[in-house]
Amino acid sequence: MDVSVENVTQAWPGRGDDPVIALENFSHRFASRRFSCLLGPSGCGKSTLVQIIGGLEAATEGNVRIVDPARPDVAHPLGADSVMVWQTLNLFPWRNVIDNVAFGLEMEGVPKKQRYQRAKSLITSVGLAGFEQHLPGQLSGGMRQRVALARALIMERPIMLMDEPFGALDAQTKIVMQEELLRVFDQTQKTIIFVTHAIEEAILLADEIIVMTARPGRIKEVLQVDLPRPRSLEMVNSKAFGTLFDRAFHLIREEVMKSMAQQAMALEGSR
Amino acid sequence: MAEGATPTAIILAVLLAWELFVRWRGIAPIYLPPPSTILVYLFRMIGNGSIEYNLGVTLLRIFAGFAIAAFAGVTLGVLMGMSRLIARVVDPWIAALYPLPKIALIPLLVIWLGTGELYKIVISAVTAFFPIVISTYAGIRQTDRGLIKAAEDLGASRRQIQLKVVIPAAIPSIFAGLHLGMGVTVILIVAAEMIGSSSQSGMGFLLIQAGQVMETEKVFASLVVLAIVGALIIKLQQWIDRKVAPWTAYRDGH
Repeated sequence: MDVSVENVTQAWPGRGDDPVIALENFSHRFASRRFSCLLGPSGCGKSTLVQIIGGLEAATEGNVRIVDPARPDVAHPLGADSVMVWQTLNLFPWRNVIDNVAFGLEMEGVPKKQRYQRAKSLITSVGLAGFEQHLPGQLSGGMRQRVALARALIMERPIMLMDEPFGALDAQTKIVMQEELLRVFDQTQKTIIFVTHAIEEAILLADEIIVMTARPGRIKEVLQVDLPRPRSLEMVNSKAFGTLFDRAFHLIREEVMKSMAQQAMALEGSR
Repeated sequence: MAEGATPTAIILAVLLAWELFVRWRGIAPIYLPPPSTILVYLFRMIGNGSIEYNLGVTLLRIFAGFAIAAFAGVTLGVLMGMSRLIARVVDPWIAALYPLPKIALIPLLVIWLGTGELYKIVISAVTAFFPIVISTYAGIRQTDRGLIKAAEDLGASRRQIQLKVVIPAAIPSIFAGLHLGMGVTVILIVAAEMIGSSSQSGMGFLLIQAGQVMETEKVFASLVVLAIVGALIIKLQQWIDRKVAPWTAYRDGH
């Protein structure tokens, strides 16, 4: 599934008269079966964009179309073909692991036996076999992350939207999860749109990196990542990786400074 | 083991100090009886069935009043949370009546209902109702938006979100309201039992009657019983909470 974002602008009423423009005229076509990263400083609207694509927020202006390249004339409503993995995970604390993972199927009306069967196999594949009856509160951060991933994967939707899913993890767990995600991508060939502010993560995972400006969020540049697949951690030390990193770093550095200045001003204004 | 030992030792030390102080200073038992005498009276009251009867009656009233308040409060709180219309209609009444100390309603209720069982249960149910309905409503309205969005993303309908996300998410808030409700139920029942000339039973009645004839030992004995029972009720409620909602024991459950 392609995701075609056309001139999307997202504005919120701000303090005073000026609206806060989170996104401005964002246009990009995310190609099917590609792993795309949105890389940018805090507040640049990347989380908002991903929620707009997922049909969970409405854009102030502009349009998002989900298009099957084989049948481009068929309209697809937002949300049905995509699934989100949240920055805050949003696991249901009162449900155990298997009921969390099977939630989407339960909402669809899939009978218990079947949905538990599918949930169990997915839980095993993310390495949580034996923890089906645990509550999220009993699990470590990395384990909860995997539950969230399983809950998304079980839906078997062609598009996966991930909003800084590994941000809260410690460095080692993060590496494990990144490898996990690469494996999933290789196996399922989904269209993945992944939000991050970590440059190495973006280069390691993605086929293309959309570098965004500070607020109002626009596309600064799109970098192509030509590293071969399957990716591996060792590539981090390669020359190609280093070159990309330099490029991305220079692009983003300016925007990060701007973003920090914006935040400082916001604090000043609220005093 | 050591954890329980120190507080217990301190309690015993206080009781001992109390005992010695009263005897040494020759304080009349009518003002401050020593713990040993209180214990004697307590056992006597247990022996002649007085505690069993009055405590039983008080407990029945407490649970009756609480059950009514809990059922009405949670139901209305959920309805208010689900329907803007109901919330807008009901809210001014709650806002107006909640700050009124319900003890002030006692004279009115006595005129309407006399001083029998009904009046006692009504006054406690009315008082407990408010914290329960308010906490329930708040719990429903303050559902974590992230959970709702996640459910929506996974294909849940509005109905499904209400039943499968909003209500379970409100449980900690509802439980907090039920704790408050139970607390005020106990207070109001005992208070109601102390007022009024007819229908003489219950721990509150024991207290006021002992007070009127200056049997201070009996007053203390009744207070001890009430304190212990109150603590047991709290522990029971906490146990029920953990059984019904095990996830609330963990911080940062999601």
